[in-house]
Parts: sequence; C-alpha cells; structure tokens
Amino acid sequence: MLARSLFAMVAALAFLAAPHVLAEFHLFQICLIAGTALVVLGLVVVTGFAGQISLAQAAFVALGGYGSAILATRWGFPLWAGIPVVAVAVSVVGFLLGQMTLRVSGHYLALVTMAVTAIVQIALIYSDSITGGAAGMPVPTFEIFGYALSTGGQLYYVIVPVTAALFLAVHNLNRSHYGRALAAIRQSETAAELMGLNVLRYKAAAFGASGFLGAIGGGLLAPLSTYLDPAQFGITHSVYFLAVAVVGGMASPLGALVGSTIFVFLPDFLQGFQSYLGLVFALLLLGFIVLRPNGLASFNLPRALSSALARTGDGR
Amino acid sequence: MSDTPLLNAENVTVQFGGVIALDRVSAAVARGAIHAVIGPNGAGKSTLLNVVTGLYQPSSGNVSFEGQSLGGMAPHRINRMGIARTFQNTELFGEMTALENVLIGLDRRHACHPLDAALHDGGWRRSEIAARREARQLLSLVGLAEDEGNLAAALPFGKQRRLEIARALATEPKLLLLDEPAAGLRAAEIEVLNRVLLDLRSERGITILVIDHVMALVMAISDRISVLNFGRKIAEGTPAEVRSAPAVIEAYLGEKGAHAFGA
Repeated sequence: MLARSLFAMVAALAFLAAPHVLAEFHLFQICLIAGTALVVLGLVVVTGFAGQISLAQAAFVALGGYGSAILATRWGFPLWAGIPVVAVAVSVVGFLLGQMTLRVSGHYLALVTMAVTAIVQIALIYSDSITGGAAGMPVPTFEIFGYALSTGGQLYYVIVPVTAALFLAVHNLNRSHYGRALAAIRQSETAAELMGLNVLRYKAAAFGASGFLGAIGGGLLAPLSTYLDPAQFGITHSVYFLAVAVVGGMASPLGALVGSTIFVFLPDFLQGFQSYLGLVFALLLLGFIVLRPNGLASFNLPRALSSALARTGDGR
Repeated sequence: MSDTPLLNAENVTVQFGGVIALDRVSAAVARGAIHAVIGPNGAGKSTLLNVVTGLYQPSSGNVSFEGQSLGGMAPHRINRMGIARTFQNTELFGEMTALENVLIGLDRRHACHPLDAALHDGGWRRSEIAARREARQLLSLVGLAEDEGNLAAALPFGKQRRLEIARALATEPKLLLLDEPAAGLRAAEIEVLNRVLLDLRSERGITILVIDHVMALVMAISDRISVLNFGRKIAEGTPAEVRSAPAVIEAYLGEKGAHAFGA
C-alpha cells in the first residue's frame, strides 16, 4: 500500500515536472507514445488476454480520429466530448464484429478483421464530401475550458492522464474476474463455456474494448498530427500495431507501453537507415515471435540481472 | 415432482455422417442417485455426456433436465441450470493456478460491478475475498488445499482430476457428470475418490452420472448402471442385476470382464 502511494506520488511529480524539463519535441514524442500505447492496449485486451487475433485495430483508430474530427467540423461538437462519444459508438462496432467469432477463428478471424480495415479505409477514400477523400482532412484544434491545445506540450496535459487512467482501469479489470474469464477462454473455450461462461459475449466484449481503446487513441492522436490521411489507416498499420504488441508483450498492459516506446524511438535511432525501417520492424517482429513470444515486458529485469551476476561469479 | 427423474434422455440418436454414435438411447437419472454408464471404448458413453452438456445436438430424441428440454440450449446455459462436468483427458486452464481454476466457476455468483472491478474498490475486494474463501473450501474438499498456488498444468494427473471435480462443483451443480474419473488411478486413489463422491451426494445432495471402465468404482458406489455397446443400451439395473445379466457378460464383458467382476 505504501509502495503504491509512493509510486503514485513519484509518477504525479514526474508528470508535472516533465513539461519544465523536456523540450517540446520530447513532449510530442511522449504524447505519441501514449496515444499509440492506448491503441496497442486494445490489441493486448483482444489478442493477448482473450486470444482472438485482430487486424481491425487501424480501422478503429481511423473511426475514432475521423469520427470525432467530423463531429467537430460539421456540427461544432468539441473534441473533448466527441472523442469519448465516438469511442462508445466504435466499441459497439467492435462488439458486433466480435459476434463474428461465433463463426470464425484463428487465421480466418485474422482475414475477416483485415477485411474490416480494408473496408473502412476504402469507405474513407470514397466519402469525399465528408472525409476529404484521398486528400484527407485537417483536424480541428482540441479546445477545453477555453484553452486551445495544439502543440505536443499542450496536448500532453490531456493525452497522458487519459492514457494513465485507462491503463490503470485495464490493469485492474484484468486482475478481476473479467480478466480471469478472458484468460480461461484463451486457454480452453470448451471448458470455459461448460463452466457457465458466455464465451461469445466475453469475446465480443473484448473486441468492444479494443474498439473503444483504439478509437480513444485515434481520437487523441488526430489533433496531435493535425491532419488525417486515409493512407495512415491501412492493413499495414494494423500489422504495425500488432508488431508493437508482440515486441512489447501481450500478457500485460505494460507490454503496450514498452512496445510503443520502442517503436516511437526506433526511427530516431535509425535515421541513417530510413529506407530499411520496414525491414528492421519485420525482423524485430519475427525475432520476437521465434525467440521471445511473450515480448519484452515478460523480462524479469532483477532476476535476469542477478542470474547474469551469478554466472559471472562462477568465473565463466 | 420428486418422482420425475432429474435427467431424462429419451430415444437420443446422434449421427456423424454415416456413423451412428448413439442409437435411440433412453436413460433416466433419479434425483440423488449415483448412476453409472459403462461400456467398451466407442460405445457412445462420452457422446452421451456431450449431448447432455450441449456440445453435441442430438440428430433425434430429446434430453430434459428437471422436466425442461435442453434441446438447442447453449452449453453455458445448461451449466447455469445446474449441470457440470469433468473431462476424460482433463480440460483445465493450465496457465492458471488451482485456485483460479475453481474461481472461474464461482465468479458468476460473486461478480461485482464492472466499475468496482476497474477501480479495485471495496466492492471488488469484498467479492474477491468471498469467492476466494469459497474456492479454498472446495479445494480442501477434494484434498488440494496445499496446491492452491500451483499452476494447474504442473499438478500430477491424479490431482488434475480432483481439481476438475472442484472446478465443476464451483458452479453449484445439481447434477455432476464425470467422464472416466478413475482411469489411471491406483487402488488407494480410487478409494479416496469413492469417498469424495459418496460425500458429495450425502452432504450436498448432488446427483452424479459417472462414466467409467473401472469396476472398483462403478460397482462400489453406483445405485444404477446403464450398459452401452455400439451406441445401443443393452442393459440397465442395479450393480447386481447388471453383473448377472447374460447380455452384458456375452456382448460386452466377455471372459475378462466376468473375471473383473469376480464372477
């Protein structure tokens, strides 16, 4: 209990101190990590916890971003209200998509969810009058309590707390009977169903949660990037989010954060290799699937260190 | 009401393509009974359990529980009506601890509001504590009190079997279906299992339908035995009646079986 409140205090202090210490660009990167982490958190819930593979995440992100931006530009609905409203609607879409798991699973589910991403992207491109078509659309400024938040340093005060709150909620839910039920379904659907769990409803709810988190992430990333382009929401991007989740680790919410941090910073470290970035991501994904299927978050750092020390102590 | 059977299968036929797994099988399980279904491999015993629990739909015929037809009902709803089962090759949640496996069955009755679960507040804590207390009671009932923190997959097979029984009991069944609970157990372990099953009936009033080959279990505790062979029911009665039924000895038990009965 003491450790927990101490951690909360340190985190709050760090949150308040960061804008005074870090440069604007770094605050922008923190926002990007937080937004991406929310999107990937959705995948951790549906794929990591419930065991249902999904390539629909880019579609949920697109619906969240476009939905709230359109509500704001067409009807003057402010983003702070529009994003959660749209996210609830997208979670319903996710829930309905989840009903599909009654009929399909495994590779076929991957294909169906991939098709959803393709359909949403095509719909965005061909709805010129509302979405701006292939040229895309500008995102209105995020305004709240009379403040206009447009830079990373300003949006930081919205994106980071929202991300923290949702991570905490998912962490807690995963450690309650909801998380237990999803874990049971992942391990044996038959046994879970025969233990009285409505397996279909739980799987659909997991898809609903991934839709909600994806849409909130998409809604928050949109004002950060200031412009929406349908090319950002293709199947490649669904695969990208899955890669982030695999590298970070799907067993816990922490993995989404670790993966997002790596994938946001990596392009900076590899500036000389810009044209090979896709290859690096692909190799990372492959390497982790083969060597470390539970991702980076599954490393127990203290234990790894102590066993490494013990080995050197042996004189080898 | 009390003389209507708890579970009633009427002319149940299950067909997979050209194969008839069950052929017009009828059986009635009386409330409070320990009823056994025996028969050689491939006789359709497991198919019968799969029909009762809703995993298979019968091609024709009907199964009713407490007078209500189970036809077309999803397995989780059948479980909620009061039917729980174990599996021949155990279907535990291997990455979860023994305690968590049992909690899966209890959670429905101890569930807290999603908001409580998201905040981990007092409501969540109370429900979690109550569920864990009950889970521990069930684990000690089957002699696994020491193993609550062990992963299900790491338990020896005999303990996995008993964990499956505890997990099934967690859903508060009126009817417990056991698929070969004694297979691979040593004589002493079978004695323990017999004791557990008899206690379940006398203390919790649970009706038990058990499938098994192991005569040390079936003959010792069953009130009634149905014998299946090639998907058909060929005999039914008390252990003594079944033991001496010529059809059973001829068609199913043969010389070896007669020897197993000590005849």
